[in-house]
Amino acid sequence: MSAIETEDLRKRYGDLQALKGVSLEVDEGEFFGLLGPNGAGKTTFINILVGLVKKSGGEARVFGYDVEDDYREARDAIGLAPQEFNVDRFFPIREVLVHKAGYHGVPKDVAEERADEALRTVGIYDKRDTRFHWLSGGMKRRFMLARAMVTDPDLLILDEPTAGVDVQLRHDLWEIITRMNEEGTTVLLTTHYIEEAERLCDRVGILDEGEVVEVSSPDELMSRGTDTVRVTLAGEIDAVPSALNGKVNGGADADGYEARVEDGELVVETRNAGATLAEVMRALDDAGHDVVDVEMSRTSLEEIFVEVTRDHGDVTRAPEGDA
Amino acid sequence: MSTRSYGLPTGFVTLMRREVLRYIRRPRNTFMPPLITNVLYFSVFGVILGNRVGEIQGVSYILFLLPGLVVLGAISNSFENSSFSIFHGRWNEYIQATTTSPLSYTHMVLAYVLSSALRGVLIGILITGVGAIFTSVTVRNPFYLVAFILVITVLFSALGVVGGLWARDFDYLTVMNQFLLRPLVFFGGIFYSLEVLPTLWFYVSLLNPMVYMVNGVRYGFLGADAVDVGPNAALVVLTTAAVAVVALDIVLFRRGYGLTE
Ligand SMILES: Nc1ncnc2c1ncn2[C@@H]1O[C@H](COP(=O)(O)OP(=O)(O)O)[C@@H](O)[C@H]1O
Ligand SMILES: [Mg+2]
Repeated sequence: MSAIETEDLRKRYGDLQALKGVSLEVDEGEFFGLLGPNGAGKTTFINILVGLVKKSGGEARVFGYDVEDDYREARDAIGLAPQEFNVDRFFPIREVLVHKAGYHGVPKDVAEERADEALRTVGIYDKRDTRFHWLSGGMKRRFMLARAMVTDPDLLILDEPTAGVDVQLRHDLWEIITRMNEEGTTVLLTTHYIEEAERLCDRVGILDEGEVVEVSSPDELMSRGTDTVRVTLAGEIDAVPSALNGKVNGGADADGYEARVEDGELVVETRNAGATLAEVMRALDDAGHDVVDVEMSRTSLEEIFVEVTRDHGDVTRAPEGDA
Repeated sequence: MSTRSYGLPTGFVTLMRREVLRYIRRPRNTFMPPLITNVLYFSVFGVILGNRVGEIQGVSYILFLLPGLVVLGAISNSFENSSFSIFHGRWNEYIQATTTSPLSYTHMVLAYVLSSALRGVLIGILITGVGAIFTSVTVRNPFYLVAFILVITVLFSALGVVGGLWARDFDYLTVMNQFLLRPLVFFGGIFYSLEVLPTLWFYVSLLNPMVYMVNGVRYGFLGADAVDVGPNAALVVLTTAAVAVVALDIVLFRRGYGLTE
């Protein structure tokens, strides 16, 4: 069963079409990253699942439960750490957690144990009697995760959980989330830190202007970009050595590449620098060229991301659920 | 979600507890203002003015006043509590932690309404206690007293939920209180008997729902009845109104009015 399943999900705010028909499936147990620039519709998508935003059209289900018709079952499965802080101001944080667990039907004594456990997990147990307002920025982020996990959710949704936090905290949060995922919790994470998606996610979906423009694994996405190999030969050259000419095939295949001369150096663009490099070196060696220096740059997911979202108008939509 | 406590759903009990603790733990905010205000009311109107007014409907003015002040305190505290709690939660967005939980909309509404009604009842008891310092309080019809107090606190808590969902700013809460609640209350026969009014105004006053609430509670305390509407008819109408407004609250929650984008 899918943890999340949406079909042609739409949301309009006045004149603004924030979601333009999003169809997405997140499998049970998966770690799914929803990537997209600010205003892409990530938060809107999440808020429809928990009922903070009313969809204008389409379908959304969580573990098979319709988010409107079966709202209680759908919400019971979800633990949400929202982008903005929204924590009860009247109660110390431990009690806020006990309440949250209680709303999910956890009896008080069990809820208290869960609250302590969650606070220990995120490392702010000694602040349990403090009100949220008095926590430091980093502790606030930790608390948001504690509140999301206190109900022992099957689906953990984290909306930019590491926005504006330092490296140490980011790694702490990653570790906790990863462990939960390994223990079977499905995770939906939105971010615009590409590194985060690359490290954590089984699959990523790229959302741009309310449309899913891509769904694939981070690796697949990486291989989609073009790597560049720059070879400096002894003495400037002004034409691509003939040994390489025959190999040019426009760079369409995984092992294809395209070579040209730039500032007297040989520049090879390829899908896969690792595989191409050996071949290029062999060809140059056979042709009697002396290689002085090799510089290789791999595309970052960042570049692919920018590329995909920049010209998504002409990007064909990726087939769904192909990973 | 299936776990229960006291035979009631845990989610509902938890939200109810949260709502009650919010005001119980801040006694200076919750109990001091009505305490002071009512000591003043009883001293100034009851004692100082009361000596000049003499008897109304066969009781001392201070005793006549007491049921009205109880109604005033009970309903305004009920209304303020639910409207504030919901609006404050919306304003600071923490109500989202509740509204995204698997509580049914009915349970959410009942928790807000009943916790606020309880606050109204507690303030009503407090005011009765203050009154008892100034005069000897009698309860002639305990059933009607309890019934009317319960119904009007539920009614105004439920109205407060509508107000809390509707408000866009803290000013809205002040406006509702000052311009809607107060006039209704002050022309509702708390401080005077409708019998003293000219005929026209007597009948106009009968359009004010507050008249029946004050009248009903007064009937509970004093057994006296100033209006030609029996307490039973008033009770039926007010109960109907309370149920209708609670139902409206549930519809608003289900539609996400003021709670969703
Ligand atoms: N309550 C709202 N009213 C009007 N427009 C909104 C509202 N919430 C979001 N939007 C708009 O919808 C678009 C998507 O927003 P959002 O879902 O927050 O994107 P993201 O989380 O990807 O940054 C943005 O253009 C944003 O300005
Ligand atoms: Mg967002």
